[in-house]
Amino acid sequence: MSETNSSDTETTGLKMDFLSSSALNSQTSMEKVSMIVDRVKRGDLVVIEGGLTPEEEAELIETTMREIDIENFMGIDIYTLEKDKTSFFGLSRKKTIGITIIGPANVMKEVKKKSNFLSMIANLGDTDAPVH
Amino acid sequence: MNMPRFFRSKFFKDILNKLLGKNKVLKIGFYGHPNSGKTTLANRMTTDWIGKPIGTVSQVPHETRRVYRQEHVTVKDDGVELNFDIIDTPGIATKIDYTNFLEYGLSEEEAKERAKEATKGIIEAIKWLDDVTGVLLVIDATEDPLTQANITIMGNLEARNIPFIIVANKIDLEDATPEKINSVFPQHTVVPISALNGDNTNLLYRKMVDKFK
Repeated sequence: MSETNSSDTETTGLKMDFLSSSALNSQTSMEKVSMIVDRVKRGDLVVIEGGLTPEEEAELIETTMREIDIENFMGIDIYTLEKDKTSFFGLSRKKTIGITIIGPANVMKEVKKKSNFLSMIANLGDTDAPVH
Repeated sequence: MNMPRFFRSKFFKDILNKLLGKNKVLKIGFYGHPNSGKTTLANRMTTDWIGKPIGTVSQVPHETRRVYRQEHVTVKDDGVELNFDIIDTPGIATKIDYTNFLEYGLSEEEAKERAKEATKGIIEAIKWLDDVTGVLLVIDATEDPLTQANITIMGNLEARNIPFIIVANKIDLEDATPEKINSVFPQHTVVPISALNGDNTNLLYRKMVDKFK
């Protein structure tokens, strides 16, 4: 089996999972949150198209707190990038979440965020590999 | 059987109050990041109005690791009274690194214990979102207000239709920029105060009466 086909393959780099909104919409809130926390706890970075609902965000924080084990998993960092959404008639414009990035707090070392730009340096143990 | 007039009047008044929700106890939750000054503000408020503090404060983050409740606080403004319970909650965060506590002189064992208790406190604080009737979201005006914890708290309050006031705290500090909080959240009521010195707390009490009465 090739390395890329195995989800259990141990990697020394940073694994990033990109999930489309349609992949998430078929899941319940609880399934979504569990899936995110499972992946982040393994050390993966999860990039989601769109955002979570406020209730799902609260559920995510709550589940994260239950999963923290002090020595190995200290929690998560969440960042979002917003985009303008114009209504059908173009009369109003409001911000919606374009992408959400969730990762282990000990990996997301340094994040610089502006309204339309996000830059992150991931901490990969001995080697500090920048991820932009 | 005919009810005496007094009981009849009380009976109908009670029903009316229930229908209007007047018998509901106002529970004002103090939410925000660790070290934003929630307990300092709660202490300021209870000391001003009932003469005693509610909890202990410290420089070490996550000093408040369980929910504290003070019942029957009454704030008066221009003849209008606001009776409520204060719910002082632990600071909400998405991560807890016990090594941060070591900088404040805690032993490793104490730091780990504090971290464990803090995780439980955060869960408790989130659960209380289902039970509060109004919120003071306390933000440290020297820090960036656009954090995930603040966004999550506000999103949940809006989704639940819970009225809230943003308290831009620590304006006594030189690097405080409460105007930044105003510009980031222009659609919400923002009151700059110093919970430590009591600066502008009268304005906060007035806004609370307006918002939560």
